[in-house]
Amino acid sequence: MFLKVQLQWNVIIPSESLDAKGLALQKAIVVRLLEDFSTKKATKDHGYFLSVTTLDSIGEGRVRQHTGDVLFPVTFSGLTFKIFRGEILEATVHKILKHGVFLRCGPVENIYLSYQKMTDYRYVPGENPIFMNEKMSKIEKDVAVRLMVIGTKYMEAEREFQAVASLEGDFLGPV
Amino acid sequence: PEFLKAKCLMNCEVALILERKYEQLQQMSDDPVNQVSQVFEKSLQYVQRFSRYKNPDAVRQVREILSRYELAEFELCVLGNLCPETVEEAIAMVPSIKSRGRVHDDEAIEKMLTDLSLIKKFE
Repeated sequence: MFLKVQLQWNVIIPSESLDAKGLALQKAIVVRLLEDFSTKKATKDHGYFLSVTTLDSIGEGRVRQHTGDVLFPVTFSGLTFKIFRGEILEATVHKILKHGVFLRCGPVENIYLSYQKMTDYRYVPGENPIFMNEKMSKIEKDVAVRLMVIGTKYMEAEREFQAVASLEGDFLGPV
Repeated sequence: PEFLKAKCLMNCEVALILERKYEQLQQMSDDPVNQVSQVFEKSLQYVQRFSRYKNPDAVRQVREILSRYELAEFELCVLGNLCPETVEEAIAMVPSIKSRGRVHDDEAIEKMLTDLSLIKKFE
């Protein structure tokens, strides 16, 4: 699910840039904010950071004692992406293994759908392995599948989310 | 659950935002591809594939129609993303719309789906 959030971050401007006044300083702050935003990648609470949408306010700068840099509290709105337990969404298959299927959804690279969570479907080995059910519905690479998220995990070090999914429910399966 | 309180956006709304952003970057720089993060790129590809509505007016209408029904942000977006065709499917996608205390009867859900399906036809 895509979320719109309002955040307040501290943006640090090095002392060399501080000769600029007015618009130039504001631009330096915005540029720095966008860089920080891009590098941050994701947090557990908000999910993956996609884009800054509006700059809402820039507070008074505070000088940092030892470096001479100035810290500006900036309030802004941004777009993020996070997946939730219980959510039903559409994802794309990118890997098929005997015991399950890996799917991706936006920036989330690894959603795992175990064979135990799609009991109608059977693994069909071959050069291009697939899962298939009695009604000839196929789960194969690049196919879109509607699934239910049954668990999520945030990995702090990698700044990545992983999830576990299920097809046990009505109206779930290949789209 | 926590997600019921956040402001959510449908895939089609996000597609418009990210495409506009990407265009701005193309105009400002020689090398727009290097300006965007992997997260941005993967998200853009995703919303372009999974948007049921492409036209900005249609996107606005979807939000407008769904907003008439007392839905939480999250519920609204799941419905706008998955476009259920029947009342049964809508309830399967968003079970919370039928939970205790909610005002939605089948007739109201049916009307909502009919209104949504009309938008698609005239895209």
